[in-house]
Amino acid sequence: MKVKVNDVELDLKPGTSAIDAVFSAGDDVPYFCSQEYMSPIGACRMCLARIGAPRKDKGGEWILDEETGEPKIFWFPNLMATCTTQVMEGMVIDTRSEPVKRAQNSMVEYTLINHPLDCPVCDKGGACELQDRSYEYGSGISRFEFDKRHQEKHHALSELITLDRERCIHCKRCVRYFEEVPGDEVLDFIERANHTYISSEEQGLPNNFTGNITDICPVGALLDATSRFRGRNWEYHHTPSVTMDDATGAAVWIDSRTGRIERIKARLNPEVNKTWIDDGTRFGHEYVDDASRLLTPLIRRGGELVPASWDEAAAFVAERLGGMSGKDVGIAIRADSTVEEGIGAIALAEHLGTGQVDHAPRHEAPVVAPAAERATLTELATADAVFVAGDVTEEASILDLRIKDALRGVTPPELLPHGVPIADLRLKERQPRDARLLTVAAPYRVDLMKYAGRALRYAPGQEAALFRDLEAAVRAGDTRVEKNDSAQPEHGVAAADVSAAAAQLAKAERAVVVLGGTVLASQQATAAALALAKAAGAKVMLVGPMANSHGLELLGVLPSHANYAYPAMLETARALILSHLDPAQDPDVAERLKQKDLLVVHDSFLTETAALADVVLPAKTVYERDGTVVNLEGRFLRVVAAPVEGGTSEDLTGLVKRLGDALGQRLEGRSVRSAHRVLKQRLDLDLTELPEWGEILAAKAPDKRRDAAAGAKAETPRRRGGNVVVTASMVRPEYAYLNPHLLAERGGPALRVNPADAQAHGLAAGDDVRLRVNGMWRRATVKVTEDVPAGLMTIPATPDQPQGLAHADLSTLAVLREREAVA
Amino acid sequence: MADASQTGPIVSRHDPRYEVSMYRYVGVDGAHTLDFYRSHGGYDAARKALTTMTPEQVVDEVKASGLRGRGGAGFPTGVKWSFMPPPDGRPRYVLCNADESEPGSFKDRYILEDDPHQLIEGMIIAAHAMRATHGFIYVRGEYMLGIERTVAAVEEARSAGLLGEKILGSELSFDITVHRGAGAYICGEETALMNSLEGLRANPRLKPPFPAAAGLYGMPTTINNVESLASAVHIINRGAAWFASMGTEDSKGTKLYQISGPVHRPGIYEMPMGATFRELIYDFAGGPSLEPKAFIPGGSSTPMFPWEDRFLDMNMDYGTLAKNGSMLGTGGVIVIPRDKDIVDLMFNLVRFYAHESCGKCTPCREGVAHWLPRLYQKLVEGLGTQEDVDLIEDLANNIRGTAFCPLADACVMPVQASFKWFRDEYEYLAEHKVPKYGKTDWWQA
Repeated sequence: MKVKVNDVELDLKPGTSAIDAVFSAGDDVPYFCSQEYMSPIGACRMCLARIGAPRKDKGGEWILDEETGEPKIFWFPNLMATCTTQVMEGMVIDTRSEPVKRAQNSMVEYTLINHPLDCPVCDKGGACELQDRSYEYGSGISRFEFDKRHQEKHHALSELITLDRERCIHCKRCVRYFEEVPGDEVLDFIERANHTYISSEEQGLPNNFTGNITDICPVGALLDATSRFRGRNWEYHHTPSVTMDDATGAAVWIDSRTGRIERIKARLNPEVNKTWIDDGTRFGHEYVDDASRLLTPLIRRGGELVPASWDEAAAFVAERLGGMSGKDVGIAIRADSTVEEGIGAIALAEHLGTGQVDHAPRHEAPVVAPAAERATLTELATADAVFVAGDVTEEASILDLRIKDALRGVTPPELLPHGVPIADLRLKERQPRDARLLTVAAPYRVDLMKYAGRALRYAPGQEAALFRDLEAAVRAGDTRVEKNDSAQPEHGVAAADVSAAAAQLAKAERAVVVLGGTVLASQQATAAALALAKAAGAKVMLVGPMANSHGLELLGVLPSHANYAYPAMLETARALILSHLDPAQDPDVAERLKQKDLLVVHDSFLTETAALADVVLPAKTVYERDGTVVNLEGRFLRVVAAPVEGGTSEDLTGLVKRLGDALGQRLEGRSVRSAHRVLKQRLDLDLTELPEWGEILAAKAPDKRRDAAAGAKAETPRRRGGNVVVTASMVRPEYAYLNPHLLAERGGPALRVNPADAQAHGLAAGDDVRLRVNGMWRRATVKVTEDVPAGLMTIPATPDQPQGLAHADLSTLAVLREREAVA
Repeated sequence: MADASQTGPIVSRHDPRYEVSMYRYVGVDGAHTLDFYRSHGGYDAARKALTTMTPEQVVDEVKASGLRGRGGAGFPTGVKWSFMPPPDGRPRYVLCNADESEPGSFKDRYILEDDPHQLIEGMIIAAHAMRATHGFIYVRGEYMLGIERTVAAVEEARSAGLLGEKILGSELSFDITVHRGAGAYICGEETALMNSLEGLRANPRLKPPFPAAAGLYGMPTTINNVESLASAVHIINRGAAWFASMGTEDSKGTKLYQISGPVHRPGIYEMPMGATFRELIYDFAGGPSLEPKAFIPGGSSTPMFPWEDRFLDMNMDYGTLAKNGSMLGTGGVIVIPRDKDIVDLMFNLVRFYAHESCGKCTPCREGVAHWLPRLYQKLVEGLGTQEDVDLIEDLANNIRGTAFCPLADACVMPVQASFKWFRDEYEYLAEHKVPKYGKTDWWQA
């Protein structure tokens, strides 16, 4: 419909808000309370404009202006908030006249009367919406001469977020955020009039996505405690990258200063994470700056690891490799290595003539589904039925939020000339979520079950049986004869729930089946789940265990034979090159590592494995690498290195270059550029120019290696049964004790136990314990909860302890430190 | 004095054709009981509506009567009822706004206390007209006796089969819940009332969606004032023509006018729409008991008028007051004596609105709730200057029409009016640091 903004005529779709009309016209109005992905509420009154529209008479004809003969514009009696006004045919929006300027001026004045002008010590200074708008639309002087409102200035909402109640301008973004986005209403306004303040009902913010409120706060009221008072905004180096903590590829800004990462913020990617990230991604960066970081290579001389130069270390490794044949060498890299690093690993393996190359952790089942069956995140957010197996909130947290988008039934907005609409009028406060669309299956209670119409809690290890039942129910459809259900099925889910879940999937047209690690850990279960999806005509989303699992599998960073996979090479290879892997937490493996002729460990910290190594090479952390990752949609995303002080650390491409030089060979994948050349030649993939929000590219996978690897796993008999589910965690367990703020808020990696079991084993909530899980020593913090059934525990997966059912040896359980007595 | 045979509309209570309808039994002992109500023709209107009229006919009758909402805004009640979407199986609500909080208004209170069945009957008629499934009466928390009697009346009505399944043998199944508010002025705003009723924070909601589309719990809802619902009873009983025979062109029927301040007989007088202020103040309230200088026409939020013949002779109807820059509001007239300093009076009023602001939008939270009362306090304490006087006026002008809901306007419109008529008192105070009219010992008068 035709709309006129000041002097610009526009043609806009019905339903567009007036504020978006103004921005579409290239004009500007100030606003504080609107946020792109939340309901417009018209509370701040900053975006007022003079709005008029023509009217039709009773005969349906436009009422004409007598002088001009044009449709007469009837102006609304009051100025209107453009964020909550929908455009109408012929609407005229005026943002420049005297009354509008006067209103903007006075709204700035009102907003500022109680806002402490402590900008010189405020972390938001320089990146503050209020500051900017005051400069642009304020009068520059204050006529207010009374005391400002005094409230608490350092209120710790949690260990991660500090609230300055004096700075709050009551835009309600944070309150609305919790209700509308993650769905846990943990904040609200308390009191009224000018005493109104933000608070949580109880201590803390029990939610996994709390950090986003620090991004959307238009002022410095809500601040990230990890970066509080650590720098001014103009000093930060802003690096646009993506998360390396899970497989979603959520866009982030890495803000660093003088070689240290100070904070991580969400970055807009409308197709992936909108403007949200989880708390693990946001606050889990402090380990990078830990004092124990490795800054130089170390070589074992006389039984001791002593500092050396890269040239010495590379020469040492080259010399030792010289005496070995290719099949003696094994190379394993962590699954959050970039595509380019993967190319380097393959090139190195090919040069050494070994098929023993792998990435870890890796599920038993492949995680790259055929492109035609693979769901995108947008498809997930617009699905009319979602079946989730596993705890996606922890595994790939953005899926949690996108699934809730689907439940709200509002499709992602179309982009306007200025980007995402500022006020999407389809979004409302307290919009109900249709729980009927969602089924969540897991062996224990997961967060998302709160929003699910059906929560299927099955017996651990019985995934395959459950999916086969579901598939049968889908195939049978309505004609199915009710079985005699007197016998309890093996998987423990009632027949009524199975048929209800199946019916929902079967009748849906845009169903999506999301499979997490507990399913992908088993080939059988995965095959059954894929058969279910196929029967229901659903698309699938397979959640890889780490940031680039999909990319590395796609490239074929995989062994050439069953017996060459990572766990096998720990046993058989004479020489090992491990990047960011730490298998020596298992004392039995540690013993074997000691017997190796050569152990090269590329890591950022002196891990237990590194301590056994012949050569330790300092590695860049995930934040310091340039390259590409492929997320669980198959979307290629650019990773950009933040300028972080890491001594002489190198990423894998650097390692490959140094080692290649020492071996006298210019290896492929010795740099990002060289890796891109290889990708172009071999896979016809051009990664040199990726669009800002990434691109889903059709990559021809080297199937040979993949098949071999898949075969490899199929032949390894997997231990079934167990007493602990190793599950994903949005907070990286391997760095849990190096991230002080996250540690204070959440404790160490959580060992969740049922109250009955806790009592049986003498455990109390908060106890710091260690125990062996599948042989590997694990340190964890006890969390006593009814969420897990008696006889079952959960513990987060690490790169060396992949997800799935495992056995915890309770005879090794030891309490390191009891929970501190709470005063 | 009008003649019973004359043909024009009734605009005065002196007209012999006029008789009291809504307040007929207010003040009568025992009038709040079902027995009394029934023995005086109670529930006849409900029976008539439910058994002889279709919902559409009821709506048309109320439309034809010209009844306009008595809560203050004056929206035509029948039109409002016709906004309800067709039934679709979801619950549909009728809400009665009995959160009478406007200073100067106290008319609903005595219906709740002395004639609650009249309200219940009105709600049954409204429920029939809109095919509502449940009703809520949201009563101001301070009205203890009103709540007690309304709750008792609802129980009586329920035991008598006047509420519940298939009322009076009709298809209507309808029940009423009485809810006691917790003393917030903002709950008089219809959407804030709904939030409060739902157990949420009483902030006004965004409109659209309007309540008829998505109101209480997101369901189709219509909200009416106590007096509007009581009027409906008499419209059904005596016909739209009877109702429309009273009042002026744009304002029909009778209205409960309240008068307070220094007058000889303050109270509530049911009068035909369009009666003059002079008739109310002099003929019924017995005239001012102290020398007056101004009056507020319809509750504290309506702009005041100086005590001049041209204003005293205005008709108390929606159109006349709007034309003269004020509002009929709830019909709560407040007489202001000469010796009450206007600045002090406005300080009291502004403090009230400052206390009641919900804090949702900027101009109200910061301007009404913080800055304005501070400036007034400064003036009243004798510390103000001419600049402060100008600033108050400027702030009031800036707030006007910019806030989210009408509460901020309800505060600044009287302020603007006080500047229009009594700016000299502000300037006197700023200049001399003492009020022009300094009488404070009211209780000794």
